[in-house]
Amino acid sequence: MIPDWMSEVDANSCKCSAVNHGKKGFVGKTIDGILGFLEEAFISESFSKRSGLLQSLDPRAKLISILAVIFATSLIGDLRVLIFIYALTLLFSYLSKIDVAFFIKRVWLFIPIFAGIIAVPMIFNVFLPGDPLYQVAYLGPGAHLGPFSLPESIFITKQGLTAAVIFTMRVATCVSAVVLLFLTTPQQILFKSLRTVGVPKLYVLTLLMAYRYIFLLMDLIREMYVAKKARTIQSRGMIDEQNWVGGRIGYTLIRSLSMSEKVHMAMMSRGFSGEVHIMQEFEMKNRDYMAGAVAISLSLVLVLISQNVLRV
Amino acid sequence: MKMQAKMEAIFDLRNVSYSYVGKIDALKDVTLKINRGEKVTIIGSNGCGKSTLLAILDGLVYPSSGDFYAFDNLITEDVFDAIKDNEFRSYFRTKVGFVFQNSDVQLFSPTVYEEIAFGPLQLNLSMDVVKSRVEDVMEMMEIGKLRDRSPHTLSGGEKKKVCIATVLVNNPDVLLLDEPSAGLDPRTQLWLIELLQELGHAGKTVITATHDLEIIDQISDRSIVMGEDHSVKMDRDSESVLSDYELLLSSNLVHEHTHLHGKLVHEHLHVHGKEHTHHTNQDQKK
Repeated sequence: MIPDWMSEVDANSCKCSAVNHGKKGFVGKTIDGILGFLEEAFISESFSKRSGLLQSLDPRAKLISILAVIFATSLIGDLRVLIFIYALTLLFSYLSKIDVAFFIKRVWLFIPIFAGIIAVPMIFNVFLPGDPLYQVAYLGPGAHLGPFSLPESIFITKQGLTAAVIFTMRVATCVSAVVLLFLTTPQQILFKSLRTVGVPKLYVLTLLMAYRYIFLLMDLIREMYVAKKARTIQSRGMIDEQNWVGGRIGYTLIRSLSMSEKVHMAMMSRGFSGEVHIMQEFEMKNRDYMAGAVAISLSLVLVLISQNVLRV
Repeated sequence: MKMQAKMEAIFDLRNVSYSYVGKIDALKDVTLKINRGEKVTIIGSNGCGKSTLLAILDGLVYPSSGDFYAFDNLITEDVFDAIKDNEFRSYFRTKVGFVFQNSDVQLFSPTVYEEIAFGPLQLNLSMDVVKSRVEDVMEMMEIGKLRDRSPHTLSGGEKKKVCIATVLVNNPDVLLLDEPSAGLDPRTQLWLIELLQELGHAGKTVITATHDLEIIDQISDRSIVMGEDHSVKMDRDSESVLSDYELLLSSNLVHEHTHLHGKLVHEHLHVHGKEHTHHTNQDQKK
């Protein structure tokens, strides 16, 4: 059955040896990143199963409490109050048996990227006038950038810096609250609890399914990469690699479309007719009502402080 | 020209363990050697670590602990995942071919013809040799009529055949196959067994992960039984593994309602309370 050339076996061993050859490729690193995400999801899931303070609360009470705190925090302009609320989130992460260092890292990893980019320009007198704190450059009189005229010297202003710090701190506090919610609630329960704030059932179901299929598609991508690795004898050029990545993106899209059709058919064959019924077994206890009341009261106090009705 | 296979270890695993995301164990303390020209099956129930073991043997994942040597070289991530080409990795990838369980992940070219030509094109062979190899393999696999089809439009059995073709066209000396008979119709399954036997006779090293007990003694001389605790439970000749009913039962490879007829294992549907007997004198009298 097999052709002659296929019955040849080369029993000579390689004269070469395995040595370290430096950096990993871009695609390989990206796939590693994907695996890192899976690992992170795994760790988050393990936090939500611990027997901590926030884990023991009803997800609906937790969702509404945290949303109230976030709303109030976004109105606060006093740095000391913001630091106090941020410290509270750290305390709650500790009481919920979440590794505080992990929690801080998780929050501050994204703050410089998003809040930082927005906040940095406002520290300079170019955008926001104020008292000079530190001179960055002297441009001389009549300086301009295209049609925009620039001040004589560019400096960091006291007011600008304070506003930037307050803005960053506010974002950090709000993100911490959200991260705390995500870490202490299993994903599917968190999505289901969105019903309490009026999110329609269909969206909740879509979220639940999307979250489940992300993992399936990620696994598919990882396997495709590994299968290509197994067949790559010598590295190919950049264009070939890009072709492969482009082809795989297209294929993943085709696969996900055909999978969504099949999933829909499977749902229909099990009685789905467009009307969604989600299993919800939440039960509010006294402590959940109490936690909700405390959080809403705190938010109210914060709103009063922000409106200068209460002074600290 | 056939070469006499030398009895030397090409793969050597020393206390290899592997766990996914550092938590889910897939392999535990596996120590084994595989010699050149051996025909080996790795058997075990679902999720016992067969696929992970094959992936380690192909240098696709790396042990979480322990060492894996292939062709007398320690295989590490630094060697295999580097951006730069290196001679050993090319040698390894030329020598070892892997047929994946999920055919879909292995096929990425626009047509079946290009898919099969992908491998030999990387071997720096002349275009004529590449073309004749591709033709030979397509004829051997009886997939000539699929030549211009896009791989994702093929049926499950056709995809599997194309996958095997893409690997064989490189003429690797070592073949790793992950559940190759799964989802194949009986005729294609028999054809696959004959192909693996012929490759084995030619001196290739054929390592197959499967839980299809019926093909084991036809395609292998040695069987490695993986237990449900992800460690090697038994490593012996295939015939004696197949005749060890207790071992197969404890490894979840047979069910207590599975019947053994000599070496042959098969299952019957039955209703409790009316268990049947096989070829007893009473049956014959009836």
